[in-house]
Amino acid sequence: MLCAGALSWASASQARDVAFVACPIVQDTSNVPCWLSEHGGEVYYLGIQSDVSAAFNPPSLGHLALVEGTVSEGERICGGLVLEPVKVSIMPALSPECDELRMVQPGLELPFEPPRPPGPSSGRLAFAPPPPAPPPTPPFEAKTFEIFFPFEGTVDFKTPDALQAVLAYARAVGEVRLQVRAQRAAVRLSDGQVIAEREGIAAVRAREIGRMFAALGEGIAQVEVASSDVPQLGDWRQRKVEITVTPCDEAGRPGC
Amino acid sequence: MRVSPARAVLVAALGCAVLSGGYRAAAGQPQSPAHVADQAGQAAEVPAEASAVPNGGRAWWSPGEARDLPQAIEYENAHGRLTLYNQGGPVETSGHPFFEPLGPNGRACVSCHQPADGMSLSITSIRERWEETAGRDPIFAAIDGSDCPSLPQGEAASHSLLLERGLFRVFLPWPPRDPWGAGRIEPEFKLEVVRDPAGCNLDPTYGLASDNPMVSVYRRPRMVANLPYVVHRNFGVGPFVGKTGEPALRDPENGQPVNMNLMADARQPTLGTQAMEASVTHLQLLNGLNPAQIAQITAFERQLFAAQTRDLHAGDLLAGPGGRAFGPRNLADGEIGVLGNNITRWVFPIDEAWGEPQARLTAEQNARRASIFRGQRIFHFRTFWIRDSMHLNTVGLGNPTKRTCATCHGMHMTGLDTANGWMDIGTTNLPWAREVPRNPWTTERERMPLFRITCRADLPPHPYYGREFYTQDPGRALISGKCNDVGTIVMQQFRGLAARPPYFSNGSAATLRELIDFYDRRYNIQYSEQEKVDLENFMATL
Ligand code: HEC
Ligand code: HEC
Repeated sequence: MLCAGALSWASASQARDVAFVACPIVQDTSNVPCWLSEHGGEVYYLGIQSDVSAAFNPPSLGHLALVEGTVSEGERICGGLVLEPVKVSIMPALSPECDELRMVQPGLELPFEPPRPPGPSSGRLAFAPPPPAPPPTPPFEAKTFEIFFPFEGTVDFKTPDALQAVLAYARAVGEVRLQVRAQRAAVRLSDGQVIAEREGIAAVRAREIGRMFAALGEGIAQVEVASSDVPQLGDWRQRKVEITVTPCDEAGRPGC
Repeated sequence: MRVSPARAVLVAALGCAVLSGGYRAAAGQPQSPAHVADQAGQAAEVPAEASAVPNGGRAWWSPGEARDLPQAIEYENAHGRLTLYNQGGPVETSGHPFFEPLGPNGRACVSCHQPADGMSLSITSIRERWEETAGRDPIFAAIDGSDCPSLPQGEAASHSLLLERGLFRVFLPWPPRDPWGAGRIEPEFKLEVVRDPAGCNLDPTYGLASDNPMVSVYRRPRMVANLPYVVHRNFGVGPFVGKTGEPALRDPENGQPVNMNLMADARQPTLGTQAMEASVTHLQLLNGLNPAQIAQITAFERQLFAAQTRDLHAGDLLAGPGGRAFGPRNLADGEIGVLGNNITRWVFPIDEAWGEPQARLTAEQNARRASIFRGQRIFHFRTFWIRDSMHLNTVGLGNPTKRTCATCHGMHMTGLDTANGWMDIGTTNLPWAREVPRNPWTTERERMPLFRITCRADLPPHPYYGREFYTQDPGRALISGKCNDVGTIVMQQFRGLAARPPYFSNGSAATLRELIDFYDRRYNIQYSEQEKVDLENFMATL
């Protein structure tokens, strides 16, 4: 969807940044597969298949992907220019034309040992979780946390982890009031086109996150949700939900 | 029988208890999710009468037989022998609520959870009971042992799904009840009946347009053994469902989140609430079990283990070293609720030594053991492209992902998913689900209902099927109302498989070979004949 120019300007415009929508491609290797995408005559390497603990989660055949990344100077992997860091979002519409699975080719192998083989693990997750943050300490005041989503994404398998810090803080405080504010984002692609997330997505994000907290019950006196459907132009940082945790003592409001 | 005044009061009482909501433990009965009150309404409509039937011999357990269940008991089956093991010692079944016919239709829990069938119910037993009792065994009760209670009872044609596929009718309110509140969930999709051979979904009394709107789907009984693995609170259990982020169901007794691995659609949080529902829906005990009965049933369920111990061709599975995957005692002693891996803790641990030729075994036995061992390796290591499978390809591995059977079936000792094991592998969704071919020449009629699913226009389409598709059983979506949950089914444990065909929740695989062939087609695995044989031989030993 094309958007009006009233949007604030911020985008992937630096020389080595790219943002494009294209089919993902699976390139098999004799170990785990690589994920690639082609745009403007160039092949980009997005990452490999590992497991749920990975920062990079491969996209989906049958769907276009929004690729936002920085071209790295390093050597090509699986024939593709490496994007690092990279954010890949699965576009919700079905795109049956995105169906390319390239078989193993001689000479095309991963230049490193993948952290997780394509079968049972060797007893650990591919990536160790970051060490747990120290428990929050008083004085407790209103604090705002941000969690981020893929383009067009809502609550998914990554959300519980992303909420850990919020939960830890709320638990440490005791009785809290939560305000959930969600927004809708837009991205300017390398070719200048602006695409916005679907209408109403901010409300869905706010409602789903609110429901997660409401279901926790204990200690959460009140959950308020709000959302803005005005597309915020920028990178992945605009696809966010802000959660403000207010100790009930401080809020001093009836019902809290 | 119409709802008598006394019954109507009880139904209402159950409704009230549920509507009062919250997770606080009620004095007495555990608060079952709200859908049970609706089910009680329908259970009250259906006539229930118990008839005296002959005991079909030693293997069949009739309700109220007062036979004692020894600590260990063995039953023969087509692949060898299954052993049932009561960790807590012999069980006196006289007066035991799992074994006594508590309700008006003469059934007990044991009716559909038979010791010889690995505490499930095989199609062979169902057909034998039909023959031996001329269709009068309580398993054929109108409420769910017939295709629909409104059909003429006592005719084989009215029980075709049970006799041909081993399926009982599961009736659930539509739209779903909200497990967190008093109301109903607004579904993300429109549910339309496009085929209803049994007539139950369109039935004026029992169907979707009745006063108590219900969907009917048809499912296999699940094993009532090794349940500590099914309901563990270990790896992967938290306040949110790890695959989707939605809030997890909680135990009404203590408010703790549960792993949601019970039933094909994870609608019941605990063994206690499950027993309540079973007593209402299957036994037509409209006021449910009392707390003492629930405690006795769940205590029994938690100490009962079942697995194969002997293979027709390999002999004693526990002979020689390294067969740590085999037999109910290994299950009773196993580590519960942990993820398998390939070094310290296999999903099904069988050491190399076990597969090597043993001097005291025959050549045939040694050959079979080698095949079983190869099958275990195939299960763990033979990769294929898992594609378009909801809640597996959506959890960060990519679509497709190059993995193995053990990827989805990862729980040590059982092959369950460690938590929230509902996924869509296509067993109930078209085009993958088994359907009678439609052409001018076939006379066979498809017996399963078929629903058209239309995902709401204001939400994204289903990522693999699009906005409109067809299913025989929406599975978890009948509880969650979510488009993405349509056709997701909670996987069952890989135990006692030899004792309880047919397989999958809708009984669509008559044999283990058909189950393997389903996967081979679904994921274009291209197993060789030898791989299929080895995999089948392995699964038959669990
Ligand atoms: C008429 C047959 C029938 C009777 C009688 C019956 N069940 Fe079941 N049982 C089923 C079916 C069918 C399912 C699967 C339902 C589903 O998946 O939606 C099931 C599932 C279960 C499960 C879930 C196991 C798992 O791993 O998910 C348990 C536990 C269970 N039954 C216990 C009981 C108890 C306790 C009783 C007696 C109060 C009972 N059943 C009576 C047919 C029966
Ligand atoms: C994408 C995840 C996934 C993969 C991969 C997978 N399964 Fe399953 N499996 C499931 C689900 C979900 C069910 C439950 C389906 C149903 O009952 O309709 C299931 C059920 C089963 C059952 C239980 C049947 C029963 O009635 O108790 C067996 C046995 C089984 N699978 C074997 C295998 C084998 C062998 C492989 C490898 C070829 C495999 N599975 C690969 C998800 C998976």
